[in-house]
Amino acid sequence: MLTVCPYFHVHQPYRVKKYRVFDIGNDTEYFNDSSETDLNNRRIIEKVANKSYRPTNKILKELLDKHPEFHFNLSFSGTALDQFEAYAPDVLESFQELVATGRVEILADTYHHSLAFFYSVPEFKRQVKKHERRIKQLFGVKPRVFRNTELSYRNDLAKWCEDNGYIGIMAEGWDKYLGWRSPNYVYRPAGCSKIKVLLKNYKLSDDIAFRFGNKEWVDYPLSADTYASWIHAHHGDGETVNLFMDYESFGEHQWEDTGIFEFLKVLPEMVMRHPDTSFKTASQTVESYDVAGEYDVPDVLTWADTDRDLTAWTGNDIQRDAIAATYKMEKDVMKTRKRDIIENWRKLQTSDHFYYMCTKWSNDGDVHAYFSPYQSPYEAYIAFMNALSDLQLRVSHCLAQREQQELENQQSEVDTEEPQTDHPKVTPAPEETTTQKTPEPKSPAEDRKISWWNKLINKTPFFKSSV
Amino acid sequence: MRVLTFGWEFPPQKNGGLGVACFGLTRELLHNGVEVIFVLPKNQETAGDARFLFADDERLVKVLRADVSLKPYLQSDSTVDVIVGYDSQGRPIIRSRTIIEEAHRFAHQASLIAQKEEFDVIHAHDWTSYLAGVAAKIVSGKPLILHVHATSFDQAAGNDVDPSIFKIEQESFAMADKVVTVSEYTKNIVVNKHHTPAEKVEVVYNGCEMEETATLPPTLAELKRQGKKIVLYHGRISIQKGVDHFVRAARRVVDVDSNVIFIISGSGDMLTQIIEQVGAAGLSDNVKFAGALWDEERDRMYQSADLMVMPSVSEPFGLVPLEALQHGTPSVVTKQSGVSEVLTHALKVDFWDVDEMANQILSCLRYPVVAQQMVNEGREQMRGMSWQVAARKIQCLYRSLLQYVTP
Repeated sequence: MLTVCPYFHVHQPYRVKKYRVFDIGNDTEYFNDSSETDLNNRRIIEKVANKSYRPTNKILKELLDKHPEFHFNLSFSGTALDQFEAYAPDVLESFQELVATGRVEILADTYHHSLAFFYSVPEFKRQVKKHERRIKQLFGVKPRVFRNTELSYRNDLAKWCEDNGYIGIMAEGWDKYLGWRSPNYVYRPAGCSKIKVLLKNYKLSDDIAFRFGNKEWVDYPLSADTYASWIHAHHGDGETVNLFMDYESFGEHQWEDTGIFEFLKVLPEMVMRHPDTSFKTASQTVESYDVAGEYDVPDVLTWADTDRDLTAWTGNDIQRDAIAATYKMEKDVMKTRKRDIIENWRKLQTSDHFYYMCTKWSNDGDVHAYFSPYQSPYEAYIAFMNALSDLQLRVSHCLAQREQQELENQQSEVDTEEPQTDHPKVTPAPEETTTQKTPEPKSPAEDRKISWWNKLINKTPFFKSSV
Repeated sequence: MRVLTFGWEFPPQKNGGLGVACFGLTRELLHNGVEVIFVLPKNQETAGDARFLFADDERLVKVLRADVSLKPYLQSDSTVDVIVGYDSQGRPIIRSRTIIEEAHRFAHQASLIAQKEEFDVIHAHDWTSYLAGVAAKIVSGKPLILHVHATSFDQAAGNDVDPSIFKIEQESFAMADKVVTVSEYTKNIVVNKHHTPAEKVEVVYNGCEMEETATLPPTLAELKRQGKKIVLYHGRISIQKGVDHFVRAARRVVDVDSNVIFIISGSGDMLTQIIEQVGAAGLSDNVKFAGALWDEERDRMYQSADLMVMPSVSEPFGLVPLEALQHGTPSVVTKQSGVSEVLTHALKVDFWDVDEMANQILSCLRYPVVAQQMVNEGREQMRGMSWQVAARKIQCLYRSLLQYVTP
């Protein structure tokens, strides 16, 4: 018995437009590029919908109709779902149709495709919950198996998932942690007692995701027949072949002219032609097999490039600076309780922004190894940091306003306690009082406090006379 | 293998990118066992181990009506004063000639030298030597490589191209077996403007010397003490260099942050115009003119600046950002430059996009991390840009040409 567990990850970020220093304080729309470049989010969604989502979903639906035994998994970022809803509602509907068959499982994820787990677990949890609500609302299902952004994984993430009721989690089946063992079994994350981890078979996954259209590859062109035989070769030395890849591999990363759609159309049939080979969803796989051993990953593991770590997102100084500046805002952002501010902050957490700032291979002149809509990592950093600066301004402005309101409330309480006051209630502009009544410039927060204290004592006769 | 090389300038004479390039390339070719005969138009002091020939015993006295502060690329009607001989009292006899006349005289002498000397390949650097290279080829029948360090289009920034220089360039490229350009940017000009077949043109990027630089006492100490940020332009002040765009960007920057000081270091035929532009824009407090700086003074300025801007309208290569990097200063460069093709770690902008130039300047000053990373990674990248790499590519070209020549 050998089962195949495919999962296709659907994601689109909100790319930050070319946001300039001059825009700080003047423009709160960070993601509304309308140019003919790849920073125009609507344009990208429309492009990828035509190249990938529409034709692939059509094929997947036909396959589900044709083969009652065909199962697979999808994972969505919330930012992709929001953009489908806004720019290509028919794409969202076609995904809903797939899920409605009951044979397509949706995986749990962070809403904003973020690396929040490694920076703030409370924020991570909020994003996972938000994602769960959105999935429930759109698809009527509750995910039971978790996958994290860029397949990033660590022992404590598995533990968190176990504690939060997930039955499975996904990770890269990386030789460093597997040793001689095969990824084609179900494992138990170190430090956990219930949850199981499904490991990506990176050789077979990358044959489709990365190598399929590469004319230099010895196995080019790859037929579904040959590929199925590679899967069948695991009969006897494995239970599940986990094929994890970006959904956009179909039609966007591998273009139609590579023959990727023809390949997909016949693959399930070729795989199931061998007796005892079938497809399972992630939950079915987790529930069908016992663990073969422990998978111990003390450091962050991802599915990215040859290093399988986070260096593509946090490998250089500008990346670390940008991501640190983002998460440093958490407390203040949450304090605003403003939906638009919190949402903008979360959109800026999407890992793609940091990926665009990667300089890992640029010294070899291999800039094309990384896809980016920006002309350079520095341009990406500047647009991002300028937008973040504007958000910081909005946050501090909002908090200052709130503080002012609170003090006003307190003060009106004082007013009611002092009924004999006949001073009319006036609210001087805060700038006025800060400049006029506090000659020594202090930090803004301190400034405000002092000025409000002054206002209070000036307005309240009792206090005034005592000074 | 022996190469007959024609050039116009050579260190230790104070000169621009052309001399530096000839020196670096020649040194590495010699190192690789290539014999280099280097022909210069006038007798001068020379650095390095090549065998030097001087086409003339006349001495170049002075270049008039053309700026020599950085790159002595001349217009065809610029004149040079030369010592043509000495009178009976031993006083020099000085004559003026146009640069075009000089290039033709150089060619005439080149044909005489080519008859006497034995060599396998001819290599001529920049337009003033092209005719010499062509003359040597006609006399000897040996293959000719023309090395383009700049074109008449760069100097004119696209307008009013000097027709006499253009004619020399175009006719010489037609006669050459190979044309070498210092960037893809320049290759495009040579292909599209001079109509040279693309397959005849090879790009060989300039190298640069990664030297350990001493930390010098800062200049502009008072401004720095006041917490001012310093943005530097260093180069000739001419239409090609785009200083007018730099000043317009400065206006945009100062509107946002009056704490930024712009230093313009250099001189040139546009100086008066730029000074007037600065005054008209109300920027006299924020834009300072430092004159042409050389050697230690220049290095101190590089080290004191927070950012260097190379706003060139048309720059075949552009050594200044690399020099600044050596001194730990990052750069904004225009996309209309060769260096932008090889240096990943710089901010890049179209010369006409003044708003974006201002945005990049402000952002670079605002986020010190970005400046620091461009310096660290840029210096790392510079280590790969050696003259040895360029010399190896040139040697391959020599060899490919020799295949067609019977000894």
